[in-house]
Amino acid sequence: MKDLKARIEKLKRDFDKALSGVKDEKSLQEVRNIYLSRKRGAVKLLFEELKALKPEKRAQAGQLVNSLKKHVVAKVSRLKVKLAASKPGVRARKGDLTLPGVRGYWGAPHPVVLFQQKIENIFIAMGFSIEEGPEIETDYYNFEALNFPPHHPARDDWDTLYISDDLLLRTHTSPVQIRAMERRKPPIRIIVPGKVYRRETPDPTHLPMFYQVEGLAVDKGITFADLKGTLEHFLKTLFYEKLKIRFRPSFFPFTEPSAEVDIECLVCKGKNEQCRVCGGSGWKEILGSGMVDPQVLKNVNIDPEQYSGFAFGMGIERTAMFAYQIPDMRYFFENDLRFNRQFSIK
Amino acid sequence: MKISLDWLKDFVDIDLSLSVLINRLDMIGMMVEEWEEKDSDIILDIETYANRPDTLGHLGIAREIAAALGLKMKKQEWPLVELEQKTSELCDVQIRDADLCPRYTGIVVKGVKVGPSPDWLRKRIEAMGLKPINNVVDVSNYVLFSTSHPIHAFDLAKLAGRKVIIRRAKAGEVIRTLEEEDVILTSDMLVIADEERPVAIAGVIGGLKSSVQGTTQDVFIESAYFNPVSVRKTSKKTGISTDASYRFEREADISFPPQAALMAASILTQFGGKVSKGIMDVYPKPKKEKTVILRYQRVFGLLGLEIDEKFTEKTLSHLGFRLEAQRKGVWQVKVPHFRVDVEREADLIEEIARFYGYDKIPVHFPPLRVPEPPLDEKREKIEKTRQLLFNHGFDEVLNFSFADPEREASFQTGREAVEIRNPISQKASILRTTLLGGLLDNLVWNRNRGAEGIHLFEIGNIYFWQKKKTHEQLTLAVVATGPIGPAHWQRKTKEADFFHLKGALESLMSYLRYEPFSFKKTNHIFFEEDSSLALAQKGETIGHFGLLKKGLRDRYSIDGPVWAAELNLEVLFKKKPQSFQYVPVTRFPTVTRDVSFIAGQDVTFQDIKEAVEKLSLPYLASFDIYDLFSGSSIPKGKTSLSLRFEYSHPERTLKAQEVDKLQKKVIDTLKKSFNFLLREGGKIDK
Repeated sequence: MKDLKARIEKLKRDFDKALSGVKDEKSLQEVRNIYLSRKRGAVKLLFEELKALKPEKRAQAGQLVNSLKKHVVAKVSRLKVKLAASKPGVRARKGDLTLPGVRGYWGAPHPVVLFQQKIENIFIAMGFSIEEGPEIETDYYNFEALNFPPHHPARDDWDTLYISDDLLLRTHTSPVQIRAMERRKPPIRIIVPGKVYRRETPDPTHLPMFYQVEGLAVDKGITFADLKGTLEHFLKTLFYEKLKIRFRPSFFPFTEPSAEVDIECLVCKGKNEQCRVCGGSGWKEILGSGMVDPQVLKNVNIDPEQYSGFAFGMGIERTAMFAYQIPDMRYFFENDLRFNRQFSIK
Repeated sequence: MKISLDWLKDFVDIDLSLSVLINRLDMIGMMVEEWEEKDSDIILDIETYANRPDTLGHLGIAREIAAALGLKMKKQEWPLVELEQKTSELCDVQIRDADLCPRYTGIVVKGVKVGPSPDWLRKRIEAMGLKPINNVVDVSNYVLFSTSHPIHAFDLAKLAGRKVIIRRAKAGEVIRTLEEEDVILTSDMLVIADEERPVAIAGVIGGLKSSVQGTTQDVFIESAYFNPVSVRKTSKKTGISTDASYRFEREADISFPPQAALMAASILTQFGGKVSKGIMDVYPKPKKEKTVILRYQRVFGLLGLEIDEKFTEKTLSHLGFRLEAQRKGVWQVKVPHFRVDVEREADLIEEIARFYGYDKIPVHFPPLRVPEPPLDEKREKIEKTRQLLFNHGFDEVLNFSFADPEREASFQTGREAVEIRNPISQKASILRTTLLGGLLDNLVWNRNRGAEGIHLFEIGNIYFWQKKKTHEQLTLAVVATGPIGPAHWQRKTKEADFFHLKGALESLMSYLRYEPFSFKKTNHIFFEEDSSLALAQKGETIGHFGLLKKGLRDRYSIDGPVWAAELNLEVLFKKKPQSFQYVPVTRFPTVTRDVSFIAGQDVTFQDIKEAVEKLSLPYLASFDIYDLFSGSSIPKGKTSLSLRFEYSHPERTLKAQEVDKLQKKVIDTLKKSFNFLLREGGKIDK
């Protein structure tokens, strides 16, 4: 035991001596490890030795070893604080700290996708799921099943790019309504985002390809009031709670009754008769909608006496243009990064 | 449709301020798009719909306003100065093709002094944005814009044999139109002919020869109903669209031809004309009015609103519908002929809602009875792909699906492009068979505007014919050039290179849990030789990436290297990702062993990786290459490569001897398989 005590005293002295030569954190760590390393530190080795002692002696010897441990721990931590306080490197850098930091760099989503997801998320929260369909469609799905008789002038409102007599580039996302209703039984509550095509020469407000979001809800007892409730909630969430909205009669072959949805002009709020955004009317057309035409339901073998539904559709670029006051629709497909990146990263 | 306020007042007494009137019209669906003041009149421009040809004239709009305001329509009188002669004595009308012309009426006005129209008529014609021509032509137009029913005036003297024959054209017959254009007719087109030749394309345009000129004295007025589809097809085929064809193809009011003819005849008497007795009306199979059953409970069911039964009856009556109560809450509704759009109960409910006011329909949220399925896996994978690429510094772009066939050819995709039959331009006449064309356009666009680092990706369809069907293939393409991110005063900016792109793709495959994946050396048409790899998953090629071929860069005038990739996401996303299983984190130390070899330069990392994987070493947690160099300290033609192996055991500390044994196995295998030499402490150990 005396032997142990002497050894410990020597260890303490050696430690103190070693510590007095320590000038930096690295050498402090080295000195510390000689005594406190979990595997080969002096303290650890001493404790190993204790295992061989008889229990009655082990307790006393343990105290001695612990006193060494305490001694080392205390001095190391004290010196550590001291070193930390005195070393010059505690400052991040000599000189100008206002220099720019190192920012992460990441790519930006396309504004149309960003806006599309904004729209999707509102409808997902209302219990809608997302459907998709082909961009190259047949005349049947794009027109006939949606209650456009062949050779009906209503088709003129949807200027079409044709692949063949029967194949065309879908002029709206509405054919996906038909596909979904063919595949599923009601209740159905879907939105359909996607590319659509029109035979239009690009100009500030027209493009031969743009994005639409279509919506459809079919169930027993769906009413025009439900259509209004759903779209009002959607628009107020997308824009702001106090947004003025009006539903106005219109015509689409696949809905009856049909409604155009106008929202107040975000720029002049109806207060400028010369407003170039709304033309002074105070209103801006934002959505087409209506109750699913009974003929459309019949075309997919859903009994219109039992079920009813509403449908709606909107152009994504058009809505984004209005929301952000973008004057030209073509900007979305120039993919100028100075434009695209604005919408998520400055 | 241009609507004159003065003209409307011929039909209904409107006493509203303009803004109230416009708002009222908007809210019944007759949207006023613009308006202007003209000659102390107000001209409204009202949006009309393909299903409402009745609103293509003042009468129809007036009916709507009268119904909205609860006003009565004014009665119009059309007095005639009659001749002794009967119409049938002056001309003969025969319908040969009643399927295309179910009703034809005609009347003769003799002794008309053709000349300039009086002021009141000129003003009306000018209000419609037309130029007055002569009183006879102007009267035809007047009737059209007033009632929406087109009529046509012939010079009776020019009708050979005084015959009016409504028949299909003979193939090859030619007519010179009022526009002095020769049209070759086909046998599916309906014409009005005299004994000898066609004198008008029915419902579309009149012929020049039979038209009313200054010398005309006797006028034959045609007022008919032509089959809408036939008129439309003829109009499309001949490329001639007129105010008349526009209305006929939307369907005319079959009950209206006599009234329109009499109206025209009456006005012509103001110019000295006298009207033949008895209108000629060939109408072999009179059409019955449509009958629609309307149930009150259904009105509520569709609108979600109780509407007073009286309101329903009153509104529909005002609009010209005749209601007969069948029993309580059920009406039989007779639809006037001018409402060609109303055929079903829902159409009537729309009428009720329109005049009740959409704004008065309550707002309600539909209860969700059955949950919708969650987001499908494909969309989830697309989203993960986007996020990962953003994190690697790539910007998302979207391009048009169209492509220029000439430029597309330079990519030699081997895919059979889908052609558009009626493209906007030659440069957009096919659908893209690769996404790279669009991405390179974007790269050039941005570079021309001063951008240096351009790193783009697009996820979208490419299109091609496959087994005689069009195929839409979801595809990802990436292009990268220049520095990644802005320059920083302290850190060096990284440049896009092969391994930047490869790393992004590796991360993507891991992130989507598509491990194991592999790379194969192949040459691909998009890339420089020996500068690209194929990415494969479970033996199936997903796509290619590498250094874009100079030929393609030249095509786009791009200097400097462009790194590009195109992956078939359709194939990739159909693959089943590795199932996820939680592995407990070991509580025991990991043993790291580094080893360096001198290797021949023909050995690829992929070879080494496969060799190591083949050993299936127990406890090997990870394996990677962390250093690679060649130079003066290394024999010529050789490379020094350093590999790191990490071993761990889930339940215990590994013993040194165990690890040594495993490590020896690896080293021996690599030495044997690839003739590697072990390199230790800078010395080569044989």
